[in-house]
Amino acid sequence: MLLPSTRREFLRHSTRGIGLLAFSRFAPRFLVQSTLAAPAPEKDRRILVLVQLAGGNDGLNTVVPFADPAYHSLRPTLALKQSAVLPVSDHLGLHPACAPLHALLQEGRLGIVQNVGYPNPNRSHFRSTEIWETASAADESLSSGWIGRYLDNACAGAPGATDPDAIHISAEVPQSFGGTQPHHTFSLAPGAGRANRTETPLLESLASSDHPGAEGNHSFLRATLMDALVAEKKILRILDTAKPATPYPQSNFAQSLRNVSALIAAGLPTRVYFVSLGGFDTHANQANAHANLLRQLSEGLAAFQADLSARHLDDQVLTMTFSEFGRRPIENESRGTDHGTAAPLFVMGRGIKGPLHGTPPDLRVEKNADIRFGTDFRSVYATVLDRWLDTPADTILGARHERLGFLG
Amino acid sequence: MNAPLTPAQAWQPLPASAWDSAAARHLLRRAGWAARPEDVARAVAEGLPATLDRLFPATPPAFPRPVFMIKAEERLALLRPKKRAATTPEERRIVDRDERELERLASIEFSLKWLQAAADPDRSAYEKWVLFLADVYVVAFEKVRRADYHYLHRDLLRTLGAGPAPALTKAISRSPAMIDYLDLSRSSKRAPNENFARELFELFVLGEGHYTETDIKQAARAFAGYRYYKNGFRLEVRASDTGPKTVFGQSGAWTGDEVIDLAYAQTAATTFLPREMARFYLTETPPPPEFFAPLGAKWRASNLELRSLCHAFFGSTLFYHPDYRANYIKSPVHYLLGLIQDLRLDLTPLPRATLQPLRQMGQNLLEPPNVRGWVGGRLWINSSTLAARRQLARTLCNPLEEETLNADERLELTAARDAGRSRFTVDDDRIRDLASLGPRGVADRLCDFFLPVAVTPAYRATVVDSIEAAPRAEHEERVRRATIAVLQSPEYQLC
Repeated sequence: MLLPSTRREFLRHSTRGIGLLAFSRFAPRFLVQSTLAAPAPEKDRRILVLVQLAGGNDGLNTVVPFADPAYHSLRPTLALKQSAVLPVSDHLGLHPACAPLHALLQEGRLGIVQNVGYPNPNRSHFRSTEIWETASAADESLSSGWIGRYLDNACAGAPGATDPDAIHISAEVPQSFGGTQPHHTFSLAPGAGRANRTETPLLESLASSDHPGAEGNHSFLRATLMDALVAEKKILRILDTAKPATPYPQSNFAQSLRNVSALIAAGLPTRVYFVSLGGFDTHANQANAHANLLRQLSEGLAAFQADLSARHLDDQVLTMTFSEFGRRPIENESRGTDHGTAAPLFVMGRGIKGPLHGTPPDLRVEKNADIRFGTDFRSVYATVLDRWLDTPADTILGARHERLGFLG
Repeated sequence: MNAPLTPAQAWQPLPASAWDSAAARHLLRRAGWAARPEDVARAVAEGLPATLDRLFPATPPAFPRPVFMIKAEERLALLRPKKRAATTPEERRIVDRDERELERLASIEFSLKWLQAAADPDRSAYEKWVLFLADVYVVAFEKVRRADYHYLHRDLLRTLGAGPAPALTKAISRSPAMIDYLDLSRSSKRAPNENFARELFELFVLGEGHYTETDIKQAARAFAGYRYYKNGFRLEVRASDTGPKTVFGQSGAWTGDEVIDLAYAQTAATTFLPREMARFYLTETPPPPEFFAPLGAKWRASNLELRSLCHAFFGSTLFYHPDYRANYIKSPVHYLLGLIQDLRLDLTPLPRATLQPLRQMGQNLLEPPNVRGWVGGRLWINSSTLAARRQLARTLCNPLEEETLNADERLELTAARDAGRSRFTVDDDRIRDLASLGPRGVADRLCDFFLPVAVTPAYRATVVDSIEAAPRAEHEERVRRATIAVLQSPEYQLC
């Protein structure tokens, strides 16, 4: 039996006399769920794009406090001079590799939230990434991610769930996506191609046949495979034919954003996209590596925003960066920086208020000590959940966090 | 539900009466990659202790440096004077490019040769153990772009991986790949770099929560001045810090080796690695560290010998408990090498047939995602990695498309064939042999030999129908499709 691959096809099948419930044994579970649920409101669908700067971005050399003498004495070789940076205010400037972001800033499409972190910071990559992705406090451990809990809240049984609730372009599934209920997430990698797949019908039958006692990883594998079979067909079809409205750089990061834009433009009801850019763990010889990363980031984000505006989708999309921690204010003897604490992050979209939110870090620290955060990262999440995704932020985050002003 | 074991019961040796073919299949699939019927029969006949002696031998198998790596190193040695002699940035750029390319090719050769060794059923268990150790003592080519360093690092893990754990950790602190990867090469008395000291405690020996930030800062001083030069490891006296340090509350002029001994003297050290083994071999959610205390005590009594730990772990009652049967998700390396062994194939000696599929399935051999290595389990599985697994099964069950290969690749294939390795994919003859069993026989062979899960009669019937429904002339093609579908099935992803 050929399985329907979209909600529309499914409805067509079920109205052609094949009973919905009889059919449901063979169809992916989300198809059935979504068809049984009420239709989706097609308007006012807001999308969040998360950009992970993996490894710990050096905030002080991203948003540069050039007027602070402490910055220059902490960074004898890495400090950027006032003449080199792109001015944001009379004491702050962007790294020279961020020219495209600087332009967005002047157009009111980019905001900077300064000195974002959390109390009792952890300097382990994994633990701190986990804290950011689960939106937990440093001394608690949560098994679900903040996006997963948002999906629990917003997308359970939601129509249109034939398509993924969230899509990531990263080597691993982001911990942010883990919900208390399973959600349909899709992973996109460069080079996903087509092939002659004559064994697919038999595989579909095997994966959907009754298997009493299938539990844990076994049932997880069966469900994931069935979901993948359906989603795969549709998404590859979109990317095969997509044409961006404006050009993108050749970097993998920019090409990933190009794919995100194509999927948004195709009207996919996916609410969250997650794109990872790695390499920010700059313990040694940081200057060039960091400049290259910031250039890729800036050029990619600017191309994405330009494409979205040209397609009139920019009112629908908010993009936000994050990194597990910033880096130590004092540079090390290897012309690099070690794991630190707070750092600024970027928010990008149409009509971002700004440019600056929160307060800059105080660099009067003891030797080899870290800065203290000014804005809790959960305030950024609360603002996005509440003012952008319109969901009960305090429930999802488990506590009340102050809202910031970047969305007005 | 099965009765949960107490920690004391869990680490008792498996009673001889419980050693049967199902237990042997479980051991072979978890400690290695596949359970071929003849290997199962041999393990059952020999008994568990003798099987463990064979899987984890006192003398680890050798892995000589691949010939291409030696040639690449000779060519790299010729490039270095050229680099010194370069007078323009352009000349230097060209030498740099040639160096990078040689290192890249040598690293590919190293990975391929390792996969080939690991695919040998006689050494699968030990090579998987080396892979486990490499997932603890992580280094990545992305940062350490020297293939010879990766070879040396892996060689330390292999040759010392059966001996006492502290000796291995000390050797790793002198491994050139590790010295570069965790920035020891830049650590000096004036500016100790904390990266190695942190991971030593967090990821190698103790686990998070069993050390303080002060322990890390103090320990980092003991490793200042660790360098690796052309002639090997050297402690750079001018950069080292011989002053007193306080680590885990103990003060002394500790050396790096002494800091490692202090770490292993902590109780947490006896449960950390065993629990990492449970995470790698048994379950994504291992019991809490306390549960491993009896195993840790046994291990401590053996002077922390890793081979003893393997024998105790793989011979324990817990390892064979029903809770841990046929419910663990194979890693991409496991999936690839399991297919090679189950289908009785020779590994195709081409990156595009091995390393590329591994990368698409989420496991780039010399590039673990970060210092912690691969998390594994359900994180291996998503729609795109499943698509890559499906593609691999399809490729291995169809004739090699040699016309699409380039000249170098054809040479590689010829060389492999001359060396007696020629079964790269399931060819038409093999499919014809399988089809001769008849639809019912084909379904039984596929389900019973390949799947760790007992499937329902309806599942078997689905396979039978998929063959019988076609006209006779198409049966062989249907048998091929059925083989591919079973190897792509959720059930075959488990071990």
